[in-house]
Amino acid sequence: MNPYILTILLFAMGLGTTITFASSHWLLAWMGLEINTLAILPLMCQSHHPRAVEATIKYFLTQATAAAMLLFASITNAWITGQWNLEFMSYSLPTTLVTVALALKIGLAPLHAWMPEVLQGLDLTTGLILSTWQKLAPFCLLLQINPSNTSLLLILGLASTLVGGWGGLNQNQLRKILAYSSIAHLGWMILVLQFFPSLTLLTLLMYFVMTFSLFISFKVNNSTTINSLSMSWSKAPIISSMVPFILLSLGGLPPLSGFMPKWLILQELTKQSLAPLATLAALSALLSLYFYLRISYAMTLTMTPNILLNALPWRLPSNQHTLPLAITTSLTICLLPLTPAIITLLTL
Amino acid sequence: MLKILIPSMFMLLTTWTSPFKQLWSTILMYSFLVATLSLTWLAMPTDTGWFYINNYMAYDPLSSPLLVLTCWLLPLMIIASQNHLAVEPENRQRTYISLLISLQIFLILAFSATEMIMFYVMFEATLIPTLIIITRWGNQMERLNAGTYFLFYTLAGSLPLLVALLIYHSSMGSLSYLSLTSLPLTCSNLYANKLWWMACLLAFLVKMPLYGVHLWLPKAHVEAPIAGSMVLAAVLLKLGGYGMMRIMIILDPLTKELSYPFIILALWGVIMTGSICLRQTDLKSLIAYSSVSHMGLVAAGILIQTPWGFTGALILMIAHGLTSSALFCLANTNYERTHSRTIILARGLQMVLPLMATWWFLASLANLALPPLPNLMGEIMIITSLFNWSFYTLILTGLGTLITASYSLYMFLLTQRGPIPHHLILLEPSHTREHLLLALHLLPLLLLIAKPELVWGWTA
Repeated sequence: MNPYILTILLFAMGLGTTITFASSHWLLAWMGLEINTLAILPLMCQSHHPRAVEATIKYFLTQATAAAMLLFASITNAWITGQWNLEFMSYSLPTTLVTVALALKIGLAPLHAWMPEVLQGLDLTTGLILSTWQKLAPFCLLLQINPSNTSLLLILGLASTLVGGWGGLNQNQLRKILAYSSIAHLGWMILVLQFFPSLTLLTLLMYFVMTFSLFISFKVNNSTTINSLSMSWSKAPIISSMVPFILLSLGGLPPLSGFMPKWLILQELTKQSLAPLATLAALSALLSLYFYLRISYAMTLTMTPNILLNALPWRLPSNQHTLPLAITTSLTICLLPLTPAIITLLTL
Repeated sequence: MLKILIPSMFMLLTTWTSPFKQLWSTILMYSFLVATLSLTWLAMPTDTGWFYINNYMAYDPLSSPLLVLTCWLLPLMIIASQNHLAVEPENRQRTYISLLISLQIFLILAFSATEMIMFYVMFEATLIPTLIIITRWGNQMERLNAGTYFLFYTLAGSLPLLVALLIYHSSMGSLSYLSLTSLPLTCSNLYANKLWWMACLLAFLVKMPLYGVHLWLPKAHVEAPIAGSMVLAAVLLKLGGYGMMRIMIILDPLTKELSYPFIILALWGVIMTGSICLRQTDLKSLIAYSSVSHMGLVAAGILIQTPWGFTGALILMIAHGLTSSALFCLANTNYERTHSRTIILARGLQMVLPLMATWWFLASLANLALPPLPNLMGEIMIITSLFNWSFYTLILTGLGTLITASYSLYMFLLTQRGPIPHHLILLEPSHTREHLLLALHLLPLLLLIAKPELVWGWTA
């Protein structure tokens, strides 16, 4: 893509999120979200492939619906309370509507159906932006409005973890697997939103780091299906040996850093006397772990038979910048002992 | 404590920076040094006290035998893996050794943890190197299934444990072992308390394994390479036993009624898995089921909660660790020669490998709990404490002992005695390395006859 256009689009994307971050008026927040959506649309369909265009259209429709619902909820709130401030939403109808609208925006179950199909139509880099950057603005709003509708949030959260787990089990396309993993992690974030919002932020940031590592690892191998991962041991052996750890970290296994958010969320839920919910959420993480394990089997823990008759992929010298991958992989694996420091940082 | 832990961590560095020609010798010498130093943990001036090194790690008469077993096992695993890894490229050999060393580090941290969450994190952490060893270096296609079963059975049991520990923490304020004896959860007859009791124990029962949830063990033990089988049989199962012994303190008085079905299930499992052993065609599978059988007895001994029960359980865990690991090494000597685990394919070996037959004999005798070996001591103490609880358990335990003797003898007679088949006349002779390996397994066992107080645990 023309670098000037790319600059303008990326700038607009950043601008949109920043406007939402900085806003305390509902109209400004909505405007930021819309700018964000509109800026990413050309990025999504830049390859002009019909599948990419289809994904763009689906994304646009769902995000526009969510934004319209958000606008409607804020107008209702203004009608009832007479003010447009974000933090002072005390009536249940606008709050519930806002929560549902934001759930559609980020892709929580049961409003998740667009996510796998949209991610599948994009290339890995745009998919990464969709999974990480686009979640920041809606979460900023969710953290500020203090939703008090307990059962709604718990249902959204638990349904997301279960759908994220079960939905990914039958997939062999990596981008759909990443979409379902995103849904599951978002579920964990929503579960603890009303009890300990800093943990939501922690989970979100940890998820960003882990999923960044995974997306970039897949991009280095230029693979989008599980089968094509099997030759990665010859292209990039060290990355292949690190990916099982990234995947197990996403699955939440100690002593990797992915265990940190799950542990802290379970602790908070048990403190709030929600132990059966905590157990159910923890066991639903096992579903996601199954397909993470399957990917790691295909990539690292088995060796494909070397069929010399077929054309092997060329091992060209790569000038990919792998420093961000190195940083985020190290963080994904080694951050658990720093948990007390991180908690202190987030609860300042 | 740190004198052992920090050198173990630096062994990882040594693995990657040693010149390749000296890799195995260096690592072997280093791990033997660490193992010898770890023997100092066995010298304890008091019987029940904790020996603190810092706030987070300590050891007491319960955990020190297991710690020494862990440290002792690493050189043995290195010796055992040398042959089948010799054909692999250099970096993979170093990776394999790193996995074994990291397993030892996590196990040391687990057994010396003073807080239950630390124990939990390290308990789970041992899963990852074991999973990689089983699925990457196992030899058959079924190893992927084995890895999945292993990981998911253990996790499905241990996630409720995490929630239960967090519940206890939020109501009692601390999960440190040092204060657990004074903080039992006050019992009310709510159903939720019973679920909490179950959640606390399920992880360890799956790990031990208890008979109904033991399905992962035959798969994992059989598909793992020799070092994986050794560490699984010798130490990882004992993590379950050790955790159960630690957590029993806070589970009173619910245990009086709730443990009933599990004791019965454990004893029934002794008989059932023993009977399955008599019908096995796969040698490693036979040894794996025999592990389930012995650990069923250990589980029953722990659930009984008497001093003799705990002592018997700990002695049987140590003795079974050494015996089972020795049997897996013997099975591996067969596997390396015939590349098959079928028992009848490698029978009558006493004619060809007479010295190895000595080790087979000793290991089989240890497995069937011959006096005066510590295996018998453990079993007798558990059987006695069970008999004290209820006369009828003697039927089950007596039958179990009989069946154990039958399948151990069956295994010995089938592999060693009888006419040697024609395809085995030209077998490779025994290596000195294999003799060393088995001597190092069985010598501690024989020496423990003289001083079982080292592994007695809390009993004065």
